[in-house]
Amino acid sequence: MQTKPNAGLFKRNPPIAGEAEAIERAKNGDPDAFSKLYALHKRRVYTLCLRMLGNVSEAEDMTQEAFLHLFRKLGSFRGESAFSTWLHRLTVNLVLMHLRKKGLQLVSLEETINPSEEDAPKRDFGSRDTQLAGSVDRVTLERAVASLPPGYRMVFVLHDVEGFEHNEIATMLECSTGNSKSQLHKARLKLRELLRQPEQLPELESTREVMQ
Amino acid sequence: MTDLANFDFDSMTTAEFEQHLPELFASSDGGKVSEDQRLAGFLAKNPDCAALVRDLETIAETAKGLFEPDHEPSDAVWSKIATQLQHEPAELSADGDVDGSEDPTK
Repeated sequence: MQTKPNAGLFKRNPPIAGEAEAIERAKNGDPDAFSKLYALHKRRVYTLCLRMLGNVSEAEDMTQEAFLHLFRKLGSFRGESAFSTWLHRLTVNLVLMHLRKKGLQLVSLEETINPSEEDAPKRDFGSRDTQLAGSVDRVTLERAVASLPPGYRMVFVLHDVEGFEHNEIATMLECSTGNSKSQLHKARLKLRELLRQPEQLPELESTREVMQ
Repeated sequence: MTDLANFDFDSMTTAEFEQHLPELFASSDGGKVSEDQRLAGFLAKNPDCAALVRDLETIAETAKGLFEPDHEPSDAVWSKIATQLQHEPAELSADGDVDGSEDPTK
């Protein structure tokens, strides 16, 4: 079946040249086509896993899981959303399931993603000494995001980086929409604090930077 | 979440501003609280709050640039996937009831 893209859903995920053909061929069991899908999307899936997990080894394991799951479920992709969006949602859900298996399965994320007092943003948010000096470069922001408490990082990556809506995040994290908004706000406040002293941010664990 | 439809922003305190800011960001057009005309007077009178809004907008705007991937998995990841696929029968039937708008992990 030929996929029928919905143009309104492709704002941040425009179709990639050759992708639609590779999807159809992969659906019919063509291993080279699946290899092409991996080549097209491996960086984006891995980067998402790395940002959500903050750990290279786990991110590689989840990337592997995501593509194996893709292989099994590709036949159900109808093309009603961008393939990238569909694959991202699949990846996010797998990572969340992984995290729950690691210890979050007995209580809701709404309770457990809240960080400790010392990790929470300070409340003197309006004072001048917490203000940023100017623009923020993306490498520094990447390091600051990696330093966020896991719950803050999760919501920030899903909303501000991946572009999910609060109602979608609430469904994925099994929390309220209000909680998603609140966590995002706290994440941004915490980032503001961290970005005030970029020299104190740790280096990223991942060292396989792609040559730009 | 707070209903801001009938809220008096001109007489808002900084504490109320702090309380309502998550919702203001969530409901603003494109996350641009600084362009919300209801807040123009308040932000003009409270430069620290205006600076906060500006900083948070900068962070959110810069974050969009992180969408483009920076990292690459090792070659071992594809090797493991390829090995696994050799031992796994294809289940690529299109008869599932999951479409692109639903949870693809089910």
